[in-house]
Amino acid sequence: MATRNAEALAAANKKYEWGFSTELEQEFAPKGLSEDTVRFISAKKGEPEWMLDWRLKAYRMWEGMTAPDWAKLNVPPIDYQDAYYYAEPKKKPTLKSLDELDPEIKRTYEKLGIPIEEQKVLAGVEGARKVAVDAVFDSVSVATTFRKELEEAGVIFLSISEAIKQHPALVRKWLGKVVPQRDNYFATLNSAVFSDGTFVYVPEGVRCPMELSTYFRINAENTGQFERTLIVADKGAYVSYLEGCTAPMRDENQLHAAVVELVALDDAEIKYSTVQNWYPGDENGKGGIYNFVTKRALCQGKNSKVSWTQVETGSAITWKYPSCVLSGENSVGEFYSVAVTNNRQQADTGTKMIHLGKNSRSTIVSKGISAGASDNTYRGLVRVGPTAENVRNFTQCDSLLLGDQCGAHTVPYIEVRNPSAQIEHEATTSKISDDQLFYAMSRGLDSEAAVALIVNGFAKEVLQQLPMEFAVEAQKLLGISLEGSVG
Amino acid sequence: MTTLTLPSRREEAWRWSKLDALRALADQPHGTALIADDHFIGLGGPRLVFVDGVLDADRSTPGRVRVEPLDLATDHPLGKQATGPGWRLTLDTDQATDPIEIVHIATGGANHLPARITLGEDAAATIVETYVGAGWSNRLTQITLARSARLMRSVRMLQSSGFISHRDEAQVGEGASLVSIFLGAGGMDCRVDGALHCTGAAAYAEMGGALLTQGEQNQEAAVSLRHDALDGQSHQTWRAVAKDRSTASLAARVEVARGAQKTDGEQSLRGLLLDRTSTINLKPELEIFADDVKCAHGATVGELDRTALFYLTSRGIAPARAKALLTRAFVADALSRIGTEAVRDAFTADADRWLERAL
Repeated sequence: MATRNAEALAAANKKYEWGFSTELEQEFAPKGLSEDTVRFISAKKGEPEWMLDWRLKAYRMWEGMTAPDWAKLNVPPIDYQDAYYYAEPKKKPTLKSLDELDPEIKRTYEKLGIPIEEQKVLAGVEGARKVAVDAVFDSVSVATTFRKELEEAGVIFLSISEAIKQHPALVRKWLGKVVPQRDNYFATLNSAVFSDGTFVYVPEGVRCPMELSTYFRINAENTGQFERTLIVADKGAYVSYLEGCTAPMRDENQLHAAVVELVALDDAEIKYSTVQNWYPGDENGKGGIYNFVTKRALCQGKNSKVSWTQVETGSAITWKYPSCVLSGENSVGEFYSVAVTNNRQQADTGTKMIHLGKNSRSTIVSKGISAGASDNTYRGLVRVGPTAENVRNFTQCDSLLLGDQCGAHTVPYIEVRNPSAQIEHEATTSKISDDQLFYAMSRGLDSEAAVALIVNGFAKEVLQQLPMEFAVEAQKLLGISLEGSVG
Repeated sequence: MTTLTLPSRREEAWRWSKLDALRALADQPHGTALIADDHFIGLGGPRLVFVDGVLDADRSTPGRVRVEPLDLATDHPLGKQATGPGWRLTLDTDQATDPIEIVHIATGGANHLPARITLGEDAAATIVETYVGAGWSNRLTQITLARSARLMRSVRMLQSSGFISHRDEAQVGEGASLVSIFLGAGGMDCRVDGALHCTGAAAYAEMGGALLTQGEQNQEAAVSLRHDALDGQSHQTWRAVAKDRSTASLAARVEVARGAQKTDGEQSLRGLLLDRTSTINLKPELEIFADDVKCAHGATVGELDRTALFYLTSRGIAPARAKALLTRAFVADALSRIGTEAVRDAFTADADRWLERAL
């Protein structure tokens, strides 16, 4: 596909500043979104015909849709034609050493306790090890060892582009089954133009031998704005997947519209943990990422279980409702969330638990922390179908307000069509009391440490659901996100 | 044909509504009026009978209530249909009135009636409204309470069929108190819509009640309660019981504006499903912009507690009676807020009659 306008040409002809250039990297999709863009992306990825048709179908749907405005968010109009939908992953400027790094970011790395080697990778320092990030979890493991181990277990863990080529039948069977192309504006957009993402298949009876993480996948870096993740746990399988990173990530792409689909068959369990710390914009709300994500799990099998855990501290605007469709008998859905907003951030996040199977159960624990001039909304739905007997749901959403310029909102929907259901919902809103602060400070903590301590206590129920390594970092992250919000 | 613009279910605030029947009702003619006397509780105060939204002067002793042209401004899609003459109650400082009873008789078709209640400082009033008959009764009631005024409103909706749409808009001043309790125990559909606004410090507002549905009925309450000043307090206690293929929906919102510190807002929404074909929808919503507030809500949906049922039957109470006792207790939570004993008893008796028929 040839470049079509002057801007794209200029960009394509620009010499790659860091002296690394290949034929592939000089090609851009034309600016804007059209059928040709979709065809270009599909061709670049060498996708089969069915995949192109699938994308095109989504694109045609998207053309007839309007952006949702029901969330409690103030989203500036997005010009979808003023963006590139395909460019080879952008390379970050390479630094000679960590000394060249923005001191603000370096200070955050230090506070998070990120090892020096890992800091180099995150900052893009020349010569840093490619797969160093696994140091967080296991200093011994390197790419080859974990790949070998996964292969032995029969687990497929690939980028979605590779999976489309290597396991087309499997991808075709499940892609779009949980989040259909027409699901919502951003999911449809993603279906048309998704750049890359992750595919995981855990075969019957296999317990995935390690926590899977995008950290581990070498080509996971810069998967772009439109990431697509598909995880299938076959009968009796178990997998735990970690997404995101506690380190601050700066990204030029303002709109991120990802789709995550999870499928759990009989007796399978998926644990999906997210720590999201995208750039939230500056103190005045300038810049920052729009994080509009569709995440949904299908608990199709009997006794299947999906557990979502999320720690959301970044992004200027978050629109995200990780959900569970509990269609299997005795299936279980869990949602544990901590959402922190500071300065001018806006978050409208929560979950949907759709109970269709008998004896299905769900637990929702949501902790919202608002500071600065931010707005933090929990929006959730618990729906019980007429044939779903003996459903149990418990929902707890607590909000903590730090300061008098922020907002905390709770919008739960409960729709029940079966009398045997037991649905309970509780919500509270509070602030950090002066007594609590005084007590902590009289024990020698400064005000920021005292707030961090109290906030961590507030969010404890959620943080303890995270894998241990993540939990430690997430705790520190909460404190850092709220810096400057008190005192 | 009447050209009536109605909100669609695609709009967030109307997602559980079923307004399809209104267009047909609007085109139907009125019928013959019922006898009103049976529906007065007998509180000894002024009595008003409205037949299809028009005062029946022969059967009314209006006291301080005046019927006159009212020009009430509202954006509410149903409320703004209620134009023309309406009733007005105005009390000056320190004035009080005996309990006012109003019976609205609908004879079919559609009727619209606006109302304006204005209470001066330290004034107090009690108003009981009863809806009977059939057809679409559409009401818009605007209320202003000055400092320390007190208004207790109780509304029972007993129409055998049709639709009742009730829109309340209130401004509650400093230290004033507004309590509005609704009971839906008839055979009609309904929508109780409220926008209460606590504008003065230490204002108290309460809106709640019980919606009892069976057959194909669809009843809903959609109330938003906004605190704009310090030390406000509010309660929203709603109960819903749904039988057969009916739907009962409760959406209650508390908004706390920036600066409305020390607000204490409480919501309790509970639903009881009697059949597996019935539906209960709940939406307890909080929107909070002040940090020193106490706002909590609880929402539950389920069937009767089996342990409690077992306990009662083990004490020799027949299962049907045990079920009725527990359901009555469930509904009573919402009606116990009615201040006048005779009114509370009358409402409870209406609820009991509904339960006897339903269980």
